[in-house]
Amino acid sequence: MKGRLAALLLAFGAAPAAAESWAITGARAHTATSQGTIEDATILIRDGTIVSVASGGAVPAGTRSRSAGGRNVTPALAAAATQIGLSDLGSAPESDDRRIRSGPLGAAFIVADSVDPGSLTLALARADGVGHAFVFPGPPAQGVISGYGAWLSLADPAAPVAQEQAALVAVAGILATDLAGGSRGAVWTQLRIALEEARRLRAGGRFDGSAVERANHEALLPLLERRVPLAVMAQREADIRGAAAFAREQGLRLVILGGAEAWRAADLLAAQRVAVVLDPLDDLPTSLDTIGARPDNAARLAAAGVEIAFSVSAQGVWLSYNVGPGLRTGAGLAVANGLPHDRALRAITAAPARIWGIAGGIGELRPGAPADLVIWDGDPLEPASAPVSVILAGREISLVTRQTLLRDRYAPATPRTP
Amino acid sequence: MTDRKAAATHRLRRWTGRFAAAGLAALAPLPAPAQAPALEPPASRYQPLPRRDLLLTGATILDGAGGRLTGDILVRDGRIAAVGPRLPRPEGVEIVAADGRWITPGLIDIHTHYGTYLLPQTRGEAEVSDVIESSDPNVADTWIEHAVRPADPAFSHALRSGVTTLQILPGSGALFGGRSVVVHPVPAVTLAQMRFPGAPQGLKMACGGNPASSFGGRGRAPNSRQGEIALIRRTLIDAQRLAGRRAAHRRSDGDRGRQGRRGRRDGGGPPGGHERDLRLETLADAIEGRLPVHLHCYRAEDIATWIEVLGEFGLRVAAVHHATEAYKIAPLLADAGVCAAVWPDWWGFKREAEDGIRENAAFVDAAGGCAILHSDIPVLGSLLNIEAAKAAAAGRRAGLDIPPERAIRWITSNPAGTLGLGDRIGRLAPGFNADLVVWSGDPFSIYSRADLVLIDGAVAHDRANPSPRNVPDFELGREGAWQ
Repeated sequence: MKGRLAALLLAFGAAPAAAESWAITGARAHTATSQGTIEDATILIRDGTIVSVASGGAVPAGTRSRSAGGRNVTPALAAAATQIGLSDLGSAPESDDRRIRSGPLGAAFIVADSVDPGSLTLALARADGVGHAFVFPGPPAQGVISGYGAWLSLADPAAPVAQEQAALVAVAGILATDLAGGSRGAVWTQLRIALEEARRLRAGGRFDGSAVERANHEALLPLLERRVPLAVMAQREADIRGAAAFAREQGLRLVILGGAEAWRAADLLAAQRVAVVLDPLDDLPTSLDTIGARPDNAARLAAAGVEIAFSVSAQGVWLSYNVGPGLRTGAGLAVANGLPHDRALRAITAAPARIWGIAGGIGELRPGAPADLVIWDGDPLEPASAPVSVILAGREISLVTRQTLLRDRYAPATPRTP
Repeated sequence: MTDRKAAATHRLRRWTGRFAAAGLAALAPLPAPAQAPALEPPASRYQPLPRRDLLLTGATILDGAGGRLTGDILVRDGRIAAVGPRLPRPEGVEIVAADGRWITPGLIDIHTHYGTYLLPQTRGEAEVSDVIESSDPNVADTWIEHAVRPADPAFSHALRSGVTTLQILPGSGALFGGRSVVVHPVPAVTLAQMRFPGAPQGLKMACGGNPASSFGGRGRAPNSRQGEIALIRRTLIDAQRLAGRRAAHRRSDGDRGRQGRRGRRDGGGPPGGHERDLRLETLADAIEGRLPVHLHCYRAEDIATWIEVLGEFGLRVAAVHHATEAYKIAPLLADAGVCAAVWPDWWGFKREAEDGIRENAAFVDAAGGCAILHSDIPVLGSLLNIEAAKAAAAGRRAGLDIPPERAIRWITSNPAGTLGLGDRIGRLAPGFNADLVVWSGDPFSIYSRADLVLIDGAVAHDRANPSPRNVPDFELGREGAWQ
């Protein structure tokens, strides 16, 4: 847990400028709470934490303030499932740490240990207004358990990992068919066997397998103790229902990752309080598991009372590159297809931390929440908008990235446009 | 205008002239050429959907050529008859009130693999794909249209998103990837029923990593960038020889014609009794300007090299596709008259694409060049207007003046030009095909939807009243997304 501690210390304590009090005035504050949108808001910040958000609120004497000029201000974005920090170049396997590609490592794999704080994908995400992210390991080489996904807080670039073991990730459906032995239903049998072995070990039973297998089983304990949720990557309705039944049977907290056909099981998911992390851009039958994909999936799930958050992959394009604009594009498109604006904003700010069980008001503009927020030059759900200012843990961060440096180097001196 | 640009414009006119001739040929077949007839695509069997004359009123109109006005559009017999404020209302014309809504030309996507990268993708198709014939670095004799399945749900998806014309390209695993086809995304059973009447084919080529890794990985040539250049030169020298023989025969036929004798119409075989070679004949067609080249290429130095080497043989690159580094050589592209078809923010998936920036299209545009947004995959093909919105906004933040009426060119008239259809689609002006989209609002807003999509003046998609015929065969009985 070294990374977690360091991140907390640095994010909320050690940053030099964070200790001072300051205020943002004239904000159109989208709180992502039941307060909704507060016009002409004054947001008071102290020690990296939000002290108050109030319409026309006074700024205490001697406190530095900056005007948002009526612009939209939101909590920093949160990506509910991404792979930033795990791969900078898709064609370079030597720098691709997204998954275990050979060997039996499963639940004992902790993808947090592969996160590279120097990754350009993290730097770009920050500059695009992303403050938090759940990063998940891709499908394993053997078995159906990918390993533990991590919660990242991007306030301190040197130590992004805030929680090493945020959720255990497993695969179902097409991703798992081969891994489970050739038929998708075997996923649940495999998981059941693994959990039974873990319980037996916990009870002091003998174990004759390899050390890696033993580690895989022992790594299931946080799941059995309901300290972390099980995240199941599943798209087809049958696999989603299968995951829900398995979670009921085993007494597990469940999150569905993908959920293209989740709208067909909306009532069940609402009743069982299963959250869904989905991609609003998934509205085509791209695989045999997503034949029921439709553009109002998010709207239908939300209307049924299912907690939703977004992971906007666009068939892989934006999952880890341009994750910020990707999230906003997905949220905007969900609104265009019937999801209320405030719900869509919540799905890319407050909802991810709630879904992954991360406490502390992350993704909300309210007293006591971390001062992670973005001032936008337009409607934050318009892909064409961009941050004017990104504040993480109370500090305004630099918006310079490798991309902006390339832009500045090659910017046309004098446009030749007539 | 530089000499090189003038030359490029001259070549453009030359081949747009040919395209116009090809368009006429679809109606009244020209006499077969005397010798070595180039293979022509079969006639289109596309029929415009049932239509009525329409007057669309009160809309904010982006005309695709840089103009913007609030006014009306009169559509008669499938063409734009008039555009202007408060047009007279002729008898017998249906009025479509578009007050508060926006109208743009139908969107044009010059880079898709629809119908060949068939949805849903199954493992079998991933292993043996129709996207490209990958058995040889020169598969110039392949025609992608022979693989297209019109029932691909990607077509109706594109139509719902405002796309009225799209090009289907072969993939990028070969140097000479074969011929493209241009279609309307309308319900069809055969390719011919979608084929854009008279649209020329294009020639797909690919530079850099993809061909080299595709063949190098199998122990074949090319396995390097320099090997690619050597191989295309070797191949084009042969094609140039064939083009020369064709030209000589045309001259001698012309001489015989002037002497009152008709040229032979033997209908086959290249001049001089050589065996036919459809690869070389395709490349000779390209050298003669009949097949505009669509070049897959990412890196700035690769793009510059390929434009120069292809230029040695008189090959004109209509557009360089993906071109994540086009912004580094924007003036070069502008001078060469080569369009850059790009994404606003898809990069990083391989080293070739490591330097993509969001301002790419805007910088190409600012250099006086021809910027285009393209898709490559269906999810982006359904967001072309949003891709353009992001690209334009990035340019504005970099200090460039890019109003909506300028940015819309990137997905309308600019791509139309690369298809040789710049005088028929991509603009809202009298005489142009009535391919247009009525948007519920600003087309560059994520919240706007394509309310009405017209192709040749016929309603191909009506959001308020969706046609059951637009549900792809695949989705019947499957409780798919759109039923």
